Amino acid sequence: MYKVLRLATREYLAAVRTKGFIVGLVMLPVFMSGSMIAMMLLKDHVDIRERRIVVIDETGQFSEVLMEQARIRNTEHIFSPEDSSQVQPIYNIEFVEPEHNLTLQLGVLSDRVRSGDLHAFLHIGSSIIHPVGDPENAFADYHAESAALDDIRNWLRDPINNHLRRLRLEQAGIDEADIPDLFAWSWISAKGLLTVDDDGNIIDAGASNEIRAIAVPLVMMMLMFMMSMMGAMPQLSAVMEEKTQRIVEVILGSITPFQFMLGKILGGLAVALTSTLVYLGGGTLFMQWRGFEAYIPYDIFPWFVVNLVLLLFMLGALMTSLGSVANDAKDAQSLSFPAMFPMMIPMFVMMPVLKEPLSTFSTWLSLIPPFTPMVMTLRLASPVTIPAWQPWAGLMGVLLFTLLVVWAGSRIFRAAILMQGVPLKFSNIMRWMTKG
Amino acid sequence: MIALSLNNITKSFNGCTAVDQLSLEVPQGSIYGFIGPNGSGKTTTIRMIMNIFYPDSGDIQILNHPRNSIDNDRIGYLPEERGLYKKMKIRELLNFYGELKTGHRVSSEVDIWLQKLDLSEWGNKKVEALSKGMSQKVQFIATVVSNPELVILDEPFSGLDPVNTDTLLKAMLELQRNGATIIFSTHDMATAEKVCDYVFMIHKGKKVLDGTLNEIQDKYGNDTLRIRCENKTSGLKHIQGVENVHDFGRTQELRISPDIDPQDILKELMTTNILLSFELMKPSLHDIFVRIASAKEVNHV
Repeated sequence: MYKVLRLATREYLAAVRTKGFIVGLVMLPVFMSGSMIAMMLLKDHVDIRERRIVVIDETGQFSEVLMEQARIRNTEHIFSPEDSSQVQPIYNIEFVEPEHNLTLQLGVLSDRVRSGDLHAFLHIGSSIIHPVGDPENAFADYHAESAALDDIRNWLRDPINNHLRRLRLEQAGIDEADIPDLFAWSWISAKGLLTVDDDGNIIDAGASNEIRAIAVPLVMMMLMFMMSMMGAMPQLSAVMEEKTQRIVEVILGSITPFQFMLGKILGGLAVALTSTLVYLGGGTLFMQWRGFEAYIPYDIFPWFVVNLVLLLFMLGALMTSLGSVANDAKDAQSLSFPAMFPMMIPMFVMMPVLKEPLSTFSTWLSLIPPFTPMVMTLRLASPVTIPAWQPWAGLMGVLLFTLLVVWAGSRIFRAAILMQGVPLKFSNIMRWMTKG
Repeated sequence: MIALSLNNITKSFNGCTAVDQLSLEVPQGSIYGFIGPNGSGKTTTIRMIMNIFYPDSGDIQILNHPRNSIDNDRIGYLPEERGLYKKMKIRELLNFYGELKTGHRVSSEVDIWLQKLDLSEWGNKKVEALSKGMSQKVQFIATVVSNPELVILDEPFSGLDPVNTDTLLKAMLELQRNGATIIFSTHDMATAEKVCDYVFMIHKGKKVLDGTLNEIQDKYGNDTLRIRCENKTSGLKHIQGVENVHDFGRTQELRISPDIDPQDILKELMTTNILLSFELMKPSLHDIFVRIASAKEVNHV
């Protein structure tokens, strides 16, 4: 065991004493959350150039209300409360009458948008007030270069829908003044479940918000993904390099291939656990400092660490054995893609699992060993309570599977590590695994 | 006392037999030279001794123990291809290799060996800063720093200049004086002749020579004439009884038939050439190697 630990120590020190590790420790979360950070940094950098929007209203009912709403917005809502500077663009709405050849008119307007003369145009169908009789003409189409992501489309929704309701009430002979709460919206609050303490007191449920429901599970899973990338993935190219540079044969003069493989896995594990300690410790302290301690999932931490260790063992065995069959960087690159499946599949299904952690799909996926560590952690970190037996069953499954992967990986490693120039074929890998 | 015993070991790769029914006994405290053409099975044999490859059949005994019951800690191994972590400092690297073998720190041994091989001032430099010869010496230290009882060196002199070759030879002889058994493979026949107590030659996976240099040469007898002539040497091969001529430029070696009297060849030479020197001798190891390696059929021993 001393030899394994000595090798693991070398691997660990070789990794953590580099500038790359320190930089990576800082930069990895920055890269992973890059879009979020970019959005935060750029949220005040709004393009405040005037937006000219043309409206073709086939009903002839919306010009007044839209012009008025735009005027209110342009005078009251586009300036900074601090220094009165303009922070949002002016919406300049212009109405045009629908022409006889409406298709041609829409084409001309489209060209004006393309040329930059207009920002967008809105086409309101003739039956929008009463869609029941003529659903085909009950539309409000917003045409722009990037219509789906355009803020103006969202802004138009409320004035148009509110005005539609007013028009329908008017035609029904109901005075809006008789129903002052007519346009008062009710938001449905997300709340957790109530609990009963030991004394029988009912404890009110806390607010169930997005941070607890989405951010915490996502952060836990992303952290596991990052640690796998940091602790296991580099083993593939590291073993390949040691093989091609003939270092392996020197090492194998002192230790067995299994000890060598185990030392590499433990070294990678130590690197990942060091980073985990930094991220979990740093994150916890930061949350406590900022007063968000309620969001720290302390109860998940032990499961997280256990699942992370097993995942790293499993991936480490996989990566080292695949590294042993690679002959060059090209081989290593082509092997790294399938080797990432245990990490990539959970990432792909992250949102469906998070939305319904108790579904049959989520449950079964979390019990399939290669995916268990990440998917089970995701389910455990979600606000719902998953049956107590499932994490334990998943743990047993992944433990057995990890032993299988280590066993199979060591057989491949043993056979392939000194073979130079043997073509990278699936049949070869299977033969080494089954026959040694 | 036998340090290493190979009994009918065979190893095949994908139907190709790399080592075939090989048997060998290496006496303790000796220097044993492994020679053979490229691809003859030397490295495969060494890897089986090191337990890196398992023989398909046959058994290996090391220091009077079955191979599987003795670990590699008592054996120092220098592979054919050098493998050093380029980013590690030399002293740190040697300590690492030594600790892997011994299970304890070997700092003082590292310093002693660095001094012996004139590398003390390089101890804190990274491996990537070393020349090929220096890397070779570092690799040698990594092999012997744990003070192993059996030292196996696969091509230890390749890439070394004569000065460094002598330094390494001196170190090998010191290890032998301290009781170690040394096996080394080489293509340098002159070095093998000078240093080896025993020479073993493998060809196409089979043993073709085994014994002391004298024993091996005695098998061939005094069948070589080394001469120096002043005239052209183009006609030498037409002299009756001369089987082969090896022209080294300033000297020529003639292999003569066993049934011919060397004096007859001398007479013939003196009639056609101005002879400066004439020596009847046993064939060199180099010559024996070439004869075996280039022969179509080889007698196995």
